[in-house]
Amino acid sequence: MDDRFLNELRREPDPGFARELHERLRRQGPAVAPVRAWRPLQLAAPLAGGLAVALVILSFTFPAVRASAQAFLDLFRVRNFAAVSVDPARLERLKDQKLDLESLLTDRVETPAQRPAPRVVASPQAAAALAGFAVRVPAERPAGFAPDTIAVVEGATMSFRVNTAPLREALEKLDIRDLQVPAGLDGQTVTVSTSPAVAQRFVRDGQHVEFIQARSPEVSLPAGTDLERLGEIGLRIAGLDPGEARRFARSIDWHGTLVVAVPLNASSFTEASVRGARGLLVSFKEGAGADPHGHRRPGTLLLWSEGDMVYALTGNLHGLLLVQMAESIR
Amino acid sequence: MDIQSAVLGRLAGWVAPADEADWDALYAEQLPRVYNFFRYRVGDGPEAEDLTSVTFEKAWRARHRYRRDLAAFSTWLLTIARNVAIDHYRRARVQVPLEEAEGVSAGASPEDLAVRRSDCERLSRLLGGLPAQKRELLALKYGAGMTNRAIARLTGLSESNVGTLLHRTIQELRADW
Repeated sequence: MDDRFLNELRREPDPGFARELHERLRRQGPAVAPVRAWRPLQLAAPLAGGLAVALVILSFTFPAVRASAQAFLDLFRVRNFAAVSVDPARLERLKDQKLDLESLLTDRVETPAQRPAPRVVASPQAAAALAGFAVRVPAERPAGFAPDTIAVVEGATMSFRVNTAPLREALEKLDIRDLQVPAGLDGQTVTVSTSPAVAQRFVRDGQHVEFIQARSPEVSLPAGTDLERLGEIGLRIAGLDPGEARRFARSIDWHGTLVVAVPLNASSFTEASVRGARGLLVSFKEGAGADPHGHRRPGTLLLWSEGDMVYALTGNLHGLLLVQMAESIR
Repeated sequence: MDIQSAVLGRLAGWVAPADEADWDALYAEQLPRVYNFFRYRVGDGPEAEDLTSVTFEKAWRARHRYRRDLAAFSTWLLTIARNVAIDHYRRARVQVPLEEAEGVSAGASPEDLAVRRSDCERLSRLLGGLPAQKRELLALKYGAGMTNRAIARLTGLSESNVGTLLHRTIQELRADW
């Protein structure tokens, strides 16, 4: 189609205007702006007082990383993040093989009988009073975004007694014979405690952003648990070949890193520097992310941590905007 | 497959060199793109220069936040430009009653008709009659010179959706050209 007529409006800026604007900018600061130096991905930062249990296995129990507060609360176990691509079709096939990915390390999870519904509050101050920590707010939002809802989700404690029989059975079904489940785990108790979380929602016509914050969860594990081995097993179950799984398992600190399973061909991920911390930015294409109601829509999820707090920003916005919001939290 | 390429290699930017952005070069390169984005977005009058100035001043103040691992500089800059345009139209809606705006748009005086003889004015008039979204897509495509893929990333639309919308819009404009 001939669209040459659409170039009729293009003009070079007036040289006087270009020069005057340039000089005005120069007067406002140095011409060369520092850009944050990038170092190789730093995954090691032990999680004080807590250890994530079979992180990769737990994270793979979700068919996709869900861009939602619920997913954040369910998934968050550690302070650092790494992503790995997984094939959702493979996970579905595993289900068809009667592999219960949510119960590979136990046959019984003890959780509170009924989790209270999120409590909607009027202000960040009210949320802070309920949550027990200073609630931060993005000082800058994309134009037109207005505060919509603030809710507080109570903390919870989940514990389970380890039973490795389902995991051994899974390895057998998948014909993974070069890896052994670490010994001495059976009968041990694992406890995961999550703090209250505060979710703030901002909306603009057809667009939304949720900002979620909580203290890092505490996970108590049997001493000496070989998380690297468990992680490697999880990666193999998820579909990585032996070499990949071995190298990946060795490359990260399983004591402090949450491995996020990102659906293959439906998402992309990148490291994002947020306020000096290393976060993870995941972009979902149509159909990749699912909210708690099963709705699938494109979106972006930004995860990072600071001190003893963990944060998530999620919405149907470009990741750059989420990072800019994250940078502005006060 | 090596794990570096399988997993870590996808973490774009983490091995990027710790260098500095040459803002003078970026300014020279991006000024025409932003300026023409506004020419297509709001018109070819002095407003295009004013909004270009606002965009660069905002970008300049926020330059420490730009991260080359997340987006090209042009994408980052045009994100700011889009917001500046939205703010501009929001203010314009408050300041200009609809009837007056329509009167300006109709522009039926002999002087106006004479001015419109130029292709530039004809195109400006046609663009002025487009809905905001279509006009913005054309501004990004023909003003800022972005690819459909880059526009999709910036706007949140799918690439195919961008292509379809642009195609239809161009057809509409051609019919009136």
